[in-house]
Formats: sequence, C-alpha cells, structure tokens
Amino acid sequence: MSVLQLRSALTPEERQQKQKLIIRDSLALLSLFAIVVVLFFITLFLFHSFSVHRQELAQRWRTRGEGALRAGKPMAAIDALRSALAYAPDDENLQIELAEALAAAGRTQEAVAYFNTLLDSRPGSGMINLQLARLAAKQGEEAAALEYYETALDGTWEGDGYIRRREVRLELAQYLIERKRYDQARNQLLIAAGNAPDDAGLEITMAALLEKAQDPGNALHLYKKAIQHRPVRIDALLGAGRTTYALGRYLPAKDFLERALNHPDFEKEPADLQLQYRDMLSDADHILLLYPGPDLNVRDRAERILANRNTAQDRLTSCLSTKTVIPPELQALNNQWQQIPATLRRLQLEQDPELEQKIMQLVYQTEEVTSQQCGTPTGNDALLLKIAKAPEAVEQR
Amino acid sequence: MTVPPVQETETAPQRILTQVQLEKIAPTRDERLFLVLSIFIGVLSGLLVVSFRVAIEWIKILTLGSAPHAGQFRLLFVPAIAGLIVAALVQLAFPAARGSGVNQTKAALYIYNGFISFKTVIGKFITSALAIGSGHSLGPEDPSLQIGAGVASIVARRLNLSRQRLRLFAPIGAAAGLAAAFNAPISAILFVIEEVIGRWSAAVLGSVVLSAISSVVVARWFWGSEPIFRIPTVTLRDPRELIAYAVLGIVGGFAALVFSKALGYLRPRLRAMPKWTQYCQSGVAGLLVGMIGFFGFPQVMGPGYEVIDQAMHGQFAWKLLLVLALLKILATTLSFSSGTPGGMFAPTLFIGAMLGASVGSFEKLFFPHLTGTVGSYALVGMGVLFAGFLRAPLTSVFMVLEVSGNYSIILPVILANMIAYLLSRGLQPVPIFEVFTHQDGLALPSMEEVREESELHLEDALIPVQVPIVKGSQSIANAGEIVAATQAKAFLVSLWDGSWYAMTTGELMSFSATLTPETPIEQALPPERLPILFPDLPLDSALPYFPRWPLLPIMNRATKGTIEGIVTLEDVLQRYHKI
Repeated sequence: MSVLQLRSALTPEERQQKQKLIIRDSLALLSLFAIVVVLFFITLFLFHSFSVHRQELAQRWRTRGEGALRAGKPMAAIDALRSALAYAPDDENLQIELAEALAAAGRTQEAVAYFNTLLDSRPGSGMINLQLARLAAKQGEEAAALEYYETALDGTWEGDGYIRRREVRLELAQYLIERKRYDQARNQLLIAAGNAPDDAGLEITMAALLEKAQDPGNALHLYKKAIQHRPVRIDALLGAGRTTYALGRYLPAKDFLERALNHPDFEKEPADLQLQYRDMLSDADHILLLYPGPDLNVRDRAERILANRNTAQDRLTSCLSTKTVIPPELQALNNQWQQIPATLRRLQLEQDPELEQKIMQLVYQTEEVTSQQCGTPTGNDALLLKIAKAPEAVEQR
Repeated sequence: MTVPPVQETETAPQRILTQVQLEKIAPTRDERLFLVLSIFIGVLSGLLVVSFRVAIEWIKILTLGSAPHAGQFRLLFVPAIAGLIVAALVQLAFPAARGSGVNQTKAALYIYNGFISFKTVIGKFITSALAIGSGHSLGPEDPSLQIGAGVASIVARRLNLSRQRLRLFAPIGAAAGLAAAFNAPISAILFVIEEVIGRWSAAVLGSVVLSAISSVVVARWFWGSEPIFRIPTVTLRDPRELIAYAVLGIVGGFAALVFSKALGYLRPRLRAMPKWTQYCQSGVAGLLVGMIGFFGFPQVMGPGYEVIDQAMHGQFAWKLLLVLALLKILATTLSFSSGTPGGMFAPTLFIGAMLGASVGSFEKLFFPHLTGTVGSYALVGMGVLFAGFLRAPLTSVFMVLEVSGNYSIILPVILANMIAYLLSRGLQPVPIFEVFTHQDGLALPSMEEVREESELHLEDALIPVQVPIVKGSQSIANAGEIVAATQAKAFLVSLWDGSWYAMTTGELMSFSATLTPETPIEQALPPERLPILFPDLPLDSALPYFPRWPLLPIMNRATKGTIEGIVTLEDVLQRYHKI
C-alpha cells in the first residue's frame, strides 16, 4: 500500500528519473559483473601458471634432495627437501625424507622433534615409529627404542606392510643382539622365520641373525631350508657347516663344509675366511677319526679308544708335572685312572663295552679338567675336548 | 594521507540527481544495493587478494629464487633495490600506500567519508607485492585489508550511494580483504569490528559478514579450504600443561612489549629525518634485512608462512626458534619503520609461532611428559602475540580456533592470550595502532577505549519519586491542593490507560484559570503522553524529551505501570559531570 502511495506521489518527471536510475544501476551492476568475470579469468590464469610452477619447483627440489641424501650429503639434502616442502607442504614422504636427512646430518634433536610432530598427526605410522626407534637407538635410549620398534611393528604401513614389518622385526632383532638381549632377539627371529616365505636369501639372513643370537640349532634349521633351493648358495652351505660344527655335529659339518669348499663361489670368499673354513673341515675330519662311533666295527672302535686313552693319560701326566701341589680335581681324576687296568688289550675292550664307555667318559673328563687346570689344549687333546662337549652329537645328522 | 576531492570523483548520476531527490524517488535503493554490493565487493576483494598473493610469490621466486638460503648475494641486494624502487613509488606516485593499511582504512572511515582512491589501491597492490616479495619482513594481510576497503570505496562511489552508506563500505571491504588473506572469515569480521569499527553495529554487521564470506569462498576456490598453515594435531593432554601455556602468555606479553617499543622508538625517528632520506630508508632497511638473511637466517625474510608451518611441525630446535623470533622483531621493525608498505599481521604471527614453538620444544625436551605437540604451542603463540601486540583479544582467540579448526585448544588459547593481553596492556597502555596514529598526526578513535567505554544508563541518574502522583480522575482543585501541600514544581498524572503525564505547576495554574475546579484533570490534558523509559536505556536517550517534559518517570520492566524513579534534566547533566 505504502509503495503504491509512494509511486503515486511521484511526478511524471520523477518517475522518468527513477526509470533512468534503475537502468543506470542495472548497467552499473552488469558492468561490475563483467569486471568480476574478467578479473576472475585473469586471476585464474595467474593462479594456474603459479600452481604449475610450484609443482615443478617441488619436484625439482625433491629430486635434488633425494640425490643428495643418496650421495651421503645430508646437509644439502636438508636444504633441498625443505625447499621442496615449501612448494608441496602436504607431501608426507617428503616430510619423512627431510626428517631422515636431519637424522643423517646428526641433527638428532631436530629430527626427533620433527618425527614427534609427524607422529602426533599419524600416531600409528610404522615408518615414523621406526625412524624414532632408530634415533632413540642412536641416542642410547634403549627403552624408548624398543618401545618405538614395537609400535612400528604394530603400526600401519603403506602397501608392502607385510614385508616392512618383517624388516622392522629383523632390525629389532639386530638391535637386541647388539644389546646382548639374545632371548628377546631369538623370539623376534623365530616369529619372523615362522611368517617368512620360502626364500633362500631371507632364510640365510635370519639364520645368520640366529647364529649371532646364540641359537645355532634354529639357525641350522634355516640354513638347511636354504640349501634345498637350487642353485645352492655358498653362504647357506658355509652357515650350515658353521652351525653344525658349533653344535658338535661333526659328521654333517664335514659334509656341508666339503660341499662349501667345492662350491665355485668359495674362492670368492676372503682368504682368511677360506682358511678358517678349511681348518674347520680339517678339525671335523680329525674328530671323526678320533671318535669311537657306534658305526665302527669292534676292532677299530677299541683301537680308537685305546689311542684316546693314551692321549688323555699323557695330557694328565703332563698337567700333573706342572703342579707342585696337586689340585683335588686332578687328584680325583688321577685316582680314577688308577682304577683302570694299566695294561689294557684291544681284545679286553672288544669284549667289555661297559669298560669302553667308562674309559671314554674318563678321557672326556680328563680333557675338560686339564683344560681348566692347565690351559687350552692343542692337537688331539683339543679335538677330544670338542668331542667331550657333546659326544652323542658327533655323528648326529 | 591527503583529503580526497570527493566532489571531483562524483559520477554521472550524481550530477543529475541529488541525494534528496534520490531519497524521494527511490527511498529503499541504498539499502538494497548495500547488500548486493557487499557480495560484489567480497568477490572482487577475494580475486584481488588471490592475485596479490600470487604476485608476491612470483616476485619472490623471480627475485630471491625458489629456495633462498644463507650466503646468496642476491639476498643482500634484492631487498635493497626493491626498497629503493618502492620508496620512490611511494614518494612520487602513491603516498597513501605507505604503512600497513589498517590505520589508513580507519582514517578513510572516520575522516574521509570512506574514500580510498583507485590510485591508492593500485599503489598498495604494487608496492606491497614488490616489498614483501623481495624479502622485506612484512605481511600481505593488512594491505589486503586496505585493498578490500579500497575496492569497496570505488564500487560504492560508482553507484552514488549516500555519504553515510559510503562510509560504511570501507569496513565491509576491509573485512572481505582480510578474510580472503587469512582464509578465516570469522577472524576477519571480528578484527574489523574490534579494530576498525570499534563496536558492534547492526547497520553494517550483515554486510560485513556477507562480503567476508564471499571473499573467502573465492579465496578457497583457488587455495582450497585448508587453512593457511597445515595444522598438526592439537591436544591438551594434561591440565598441568596450562602452566606451560601461561608461561607462553608471559613470554608473548614481553615480546609484544619489546616489539611495540622498538617500533614506537624507530618509526618516528625515521619519519623525522630529512625528506630526501625517505627515498633511501626502505633500501637501507632492505639491505639490513637482507644481511640477516645472508648471514644465516633467510627465514626472517618475507611473510614467513612456510617457516611458521615448519615451526609448527617441529622442524627447528628451540634455540633456533628463539633466535628467529628475535631477528624477526628486528627485521620487521626495520622494514615497517622505514615506511615500506606492508603489514604487521604475518610478522606478528611469525614471532608468536616461533616463541610458541620455542617454549613448546623447550618444555618437550625438559618435561617430555607434561607437554603436548609443538604445533599446539606455535598455534597458541600466534594468538598470544596477536592479543599482546595488535591488542585484539577476541580476534586472537577466534583466529586460533578458526585456523586450527579445533575447539579443544580453547582453554590454552584463552589463558595465554589473556595473560599476554593484560601484561602488554599494563606495560604499554597505548596500543600499537594508536601509537602509529599519533605518530602520523591523526586523531582516530582508540578502539580499545571505545570497547571499554562504560556507557551511562538512566539508572545512573535515577532518583526516587519525590513528586506528587495524581490520578487523572482527580479534579483540578484536588490536584492543586496536593501540589500546594508538597510545594513541588511538577507532578505526575497517572491516567486510566496506564499512560503518564508530567505537569508543571504553571500548567496546572493555567488549567485552573480556564476550567472549573471540579473538572477531572485528564479532561484538561493535551493528547501527548510521557515516553516509556526503562532504567537500562542509555542516559542520553532521555535528553530529547526534556524540552517538552519537566521530568521523566522510569518504569519497571517487570511490573507494568510501576515507577522505579524519575529523572530530570538537572539529574542527567549532573551525572554526566561526575565522569
């Protein structure tokens, strides 16, 4: 109503002015709209060219940074990766690479701070927890390192999570071995081995770690699995030889070491290692020649026992001669030898298996006690001492 | 800033129609256009601010390279040469482009009827982009604010709006410009209200919101909806952590003081130097800032957003963060005091973020179980400096909330910001923008004072009802007796419909001279009635009624017809005299 009243209050001239005003305002708004459209496209062009350039710069600096990191120039990598991040701030891999570069440059504090911040935004990230574990290990913070390793194992991994978790587990095992926490290391390795695919390289790696964790039995099991693969790898044969030897299983050790020494790659091994393995094979050979195994015929067995008795008695006599006061252990040993008939014949032994066993027990005991009382033995005494540690294992396959 | 020739800029419709004519033929035109133009202003401001930011980034890459680092000689000469060019442009072509832009926008609002020339907008765009892009330690937000206000002013002038409306467009554009620059509409709106307008005004609030939202929509179309910083996880893990935030508030308060004092000391001294030095002050400042970058700290050059981002993500150790904060204070003091166009927001946020991250990193190092993320501290630190230095406490709180998008940080933010604000206020009573205003010889209203003005209300001048109250049905003679008994000069008449009339004894005498004594007094009264006033209304709301009424009854809001007391002109004036 009021609008009508207003309209009616206008003179014809005013109405004309009002129409003109409406037209002018409409034109003004239209021109404003046109300006907005033009400005929009100019801004779009500027922005697009700028965005493309930013992407190029991010890629350029990333490539430089990664190259510097690979080339062992962490300081240059830090600068380059920081520059890349300025143009691609949301790139998570870049962030992790930068933190790695910081760690590699020895700027541990900054790296830890950076990784902690990354961890706050992605607390379940396996990669970030792994990096923090490495940094904690580097700083000697064992508890924190172990905690981060555990979190990394349970954490999320992109794409190849199964493989990355196993790698983390092996790295954790390695760290535990360094810290001499062999039981924990062994547990981690057995878990890893239980879930690992049948891959010779992997089996050899895990077996080597198990050896370091003082578990030659499980290591041997993995080496044996690795040997099943064709072509047989030299390190599998050497590992199997080494572990069987360490377990006192000289018969299979001899087999493995012989195969290893005949392997075409053996010559590629360092000379000192070659020598070591040859000595090992030689020892195994000799041990098998000394050992009165059950598979021998009665005669040979009796002869070996008599020879071993002589060796042990000589060692005891020699040891006693060095002592002014005879220690009770040696005295007890000597008394035991006194109870054995001084002149034993091969035939006597062939007919008395209990005596055979008694003499060999005494031989092993003599080698052990004399090694404690009179120092490390050499020659056949040393070999007998090795047999003494696990006589039943010598010919165990 | 010179007084703009408003008349010269008038457009064609103005020559044809005067404001009076416009009011007559299209009384609602201004109001309708006001809202439509707010959207246009928002969109235009958003586009200009995006272009402005892109221009800064392009200039930075072209002049300083894609990755400026210490030891590059260009860091020395690029800001110096750019400073010389910018100074020449400001002195010769764009004198109004000098400074940050906040005070210039306030001056436009309060002094120049909302006038900001097109030349100023262009000048601000070019000189600020050049200065900031070439490494001067300044930010793009305040220039964006002025560019937005300038766009609003130009658009409003073209449409021949009334002077009153024209004046209101400056804050509308300012909010749009700042919102686009910050990608945070609420903070921009609050800042304009806190720092430019000074009070909540319903007349302009709707348009401010509309323009700010429009500009942010445009900015987000280009930059994306993410805030300008990548915000890490923000948490308050342990209430004891508040102690750490309180420490941050104290550190921030002192840093704000140092920053203010440095600017307050250097700026007037440089301005007082001979005229010819104005041509080289920016160049020298650029050289000194460049030296800071050249000798190991290029992070302090430019606005430093990426450095803030890096600090938030724990990429620096606490000692380096502290050094960066101190050097940024120095670099910004040099750049800003030399008159180089550019803003204070980004440097303030930079310093705050560095201090916050430094405190956070320090505490994380020494009290690892007590503290949250370094990013939280950097974020709160930004708000702390904003509150302490720019003295916009409300904006500072909302800015952090808006930028972080996380409400859980509210407690630390409020605590730290308020400590910094109160500390800074106690140590430096005059806010920095007001310091600049005084240095520039202007007398703009102090927004802090405006905010804290204690408005007087009618209840402050209220006195008990000491005058007689007569019913309208009583006779004139009866009323005369009552008034004579009390010797009052005036009295109140209560009428049957609940309305009131205040009558002087002279008026009563004139009635008794012309009417019979038995005449009910309500029959003698003219049709007008006393206004209905309540105790909580502003004291000045009573003033228009005193020429007509000898006294005014103040009614109770809860019980209709109950008088709480009365006020007289004398009481009101006495109350004003007591201030």
